Amino acid sequence: MSVLTVDHVAVGYTNTVIIEELSAAIPEKKITTIIGPNGCGKSTLLKAIARILKTQNGAIFLDGRAIQQVSTKEIAKKMAILPQSAEAPSGLTIFELVSYGRFPHQRGFGTLKKEDLQHIHWAIEVTGLGELRDRPVEALSGGQRQRVWIAMALAQDTEILILDEPTTYLDLAHQLDILLLLKKLNEEEGKTIVMVLHDLNHASRFSHYMIAMKDGKIITEGKPEKVMKSENLKAVFDINAILMTCPFSQNPICLSYQLNKETECLLQTC
Amino acid sequence: MTEENYISAYQQKKHRKNIFLILTICLLIIIMFMISMGTGFIRLTPIELVRTLFGMGTDKQNIILFDFRLPRIVISILVGMALAVSGSILQGVSRNALADPGILGINSGAGLAVMLFISFFPTTTAAPVFFLPILAFVGAGATAILIYVLAYKRGEGISPTRLLLTGVAVAAGISAAMIVLTLRLSPENYQFVAIWMAGSIWGSNWSFVLALLPWILILLPIAYSKARVLNTFNLGEIPATGLGLAIEKERLILLAIAVGLAGASVSVSGGIGFIGLIAPHLARQLVGAKHQYLLPTAALIGSLLLITADTIGRWILQPSEIPAGIVVAVIGAPYFLYLLARSKT
Repeated sequence: MSVLTVDHVAVGYTNTVIIEELSAAIPEKKITTIIGPNGCGKSTLLKAIARILKTQNGAIFLDGRAIQQVSTKEIAKKMAILPQSAEAPSGLTIFELVSYGRFPHQRGFGTLKKEDLQHIHWAIEVTGLGELRDRPVEALSGGQRQRVWIAMALAQDTEILILDEPTTYLDLAHQLDILLLLKKLNEEEGKTIVMVLHDLNHASRFSHYMIAMKDGKIITEGKPEKVMKSENLKAVFDINAILMTCPFSQNPICLSYQLNKETECLLQTC
Repeated sequence: MTEENYISAYQQKKHRKNIFLILTICLLIIIMFMISMGTGFIRLTPIELVRTLFGMGTDKQNIILFDFRLPRIVISILVGMALAVSGSILQGVSRNALADPGILGINSGAGLAVMLFISFFPTTTAAPVFFLPILAFVGAGATAILIYVLAYKRGEGISPTRLLLTGVAVAAGISAAMIVLTLRLSPENYQFVAIWMAGSIWGSNWSFVLALLPWILILLPIAYSKARVLNTFNLGEIPATGLGLAIEKERLILLAIAVGLAGASVSVSGGIGFIGLIAPHLARQLVGAKHQYLLPTAALIGSLLLITADTIGRWILQPSEIPAGIVVAVIGAPYFLYLLARSKT
């Protein structure tokens, strides 16, 4: 049972504070998506949760304990991270890269035990990479490579998966492919998934919970029906959006949109 | 499902292939060892060699083999290993295939410390022999700290490119300082230092082997036990953090191991560059990026390269000798340029 809460956190880089004060609770065994314009601090928040950035104030709690006070290895047994653009070292096969996911569970020289092998095997199968397991990672397509990283995170055997823009650089079909895989992992394995997405319609379609951010603050959060409203999208992205219900998933989606400025111009000329 | 099914036939084949490669390099080292024992100003035929080894040689042959050649060969094997593992670690931690204790200036730092000692306390007695690795370690360590501090940027950590560029600059500075120092040396000491700096395996006696051996025996197993950590470092900082690697702590430990190995090597063999660059690179081509294979393979290739270079250096311009470091550099410099031309950044 892992519970992740962000409590009055301030975080940023050396000279700039990106998030001044932010609190949020990530619902357990659900898919949570953070949305917001570029530079709103969504990746920063994700990095803080992933303990890549240190919080300057406040704390992030995992199972009731502040993550800064728990050893990084202990956290790695509960929470796996998929960075935005991970680059695999050359000369590794899929099996080898996925086996690196066992790091927090290993000791000493790192010989793979039966339990490790079982997890690696399962991770490769569930991500549909079984046929490719002995191929070098650099020979794979973008979509396959993203799957390998997800498989590595799965081999880590954690309850929480954190993904920073997992669909960036992928074409439409492969984007959906990855999101369906995440949905399956959430439904069948009960994984808690936290991710940043740029595509609002994907966010709405695949999330149970959405967090909309702007300027380091949460503007609104809740179910997609609550967040995907034209007044919210105006406040967050400064756009005028036409919303409708998705015929596939019955979630609200954005059919088209205009910049707020544009709309004002139009109204004036009319 | 049984355990065997989890490891594919390909994986098993790869493992067997890697073990075979490692054994092949061992065999090549043994062959080179034999050739090297017979090579030099005074040739020993294979028969003489075997007789001498079994205690039936003449006094002269005994002295040549046991007091001059054997310690020298053993030192090249140890130094080759140490430099190769040091380079592998530096390349792993910095994620840069061009990192090497020579290029990063760690060797020069060790050299400067040793040279300062020699120029102020000129002596050739055996007493400071055990002291030299420690001195070299201090010099190498100080240089490593200097490079680390200069390359470190708050909030961003160490970028591989910054580390490399800083290292090159510091190495150039130290070399300049060493040249200035040589000016105030007496001719005899100058001769000695010049040969040593060129990377001659000058410690041709057993006390040098004994001074070097503990460092190797302690640091190499520690390095091997960090294979898993090095694998994780290879993924980059964010994935490594996600996997629960204590980055700052492990980086410091690994750098200390690399510095210790490089420092100890330099103290007995002088400035031998490029081994730490070439050996890990060749090993990666042969056995892949997993450090469980990469580290031992690189170590053996390092030994093979250095023992070969030393033998060539002794043989090519007889009766005079070329320091092994120069032979290595003749091969290593073009290889470095080749790597540089091939690398993307």
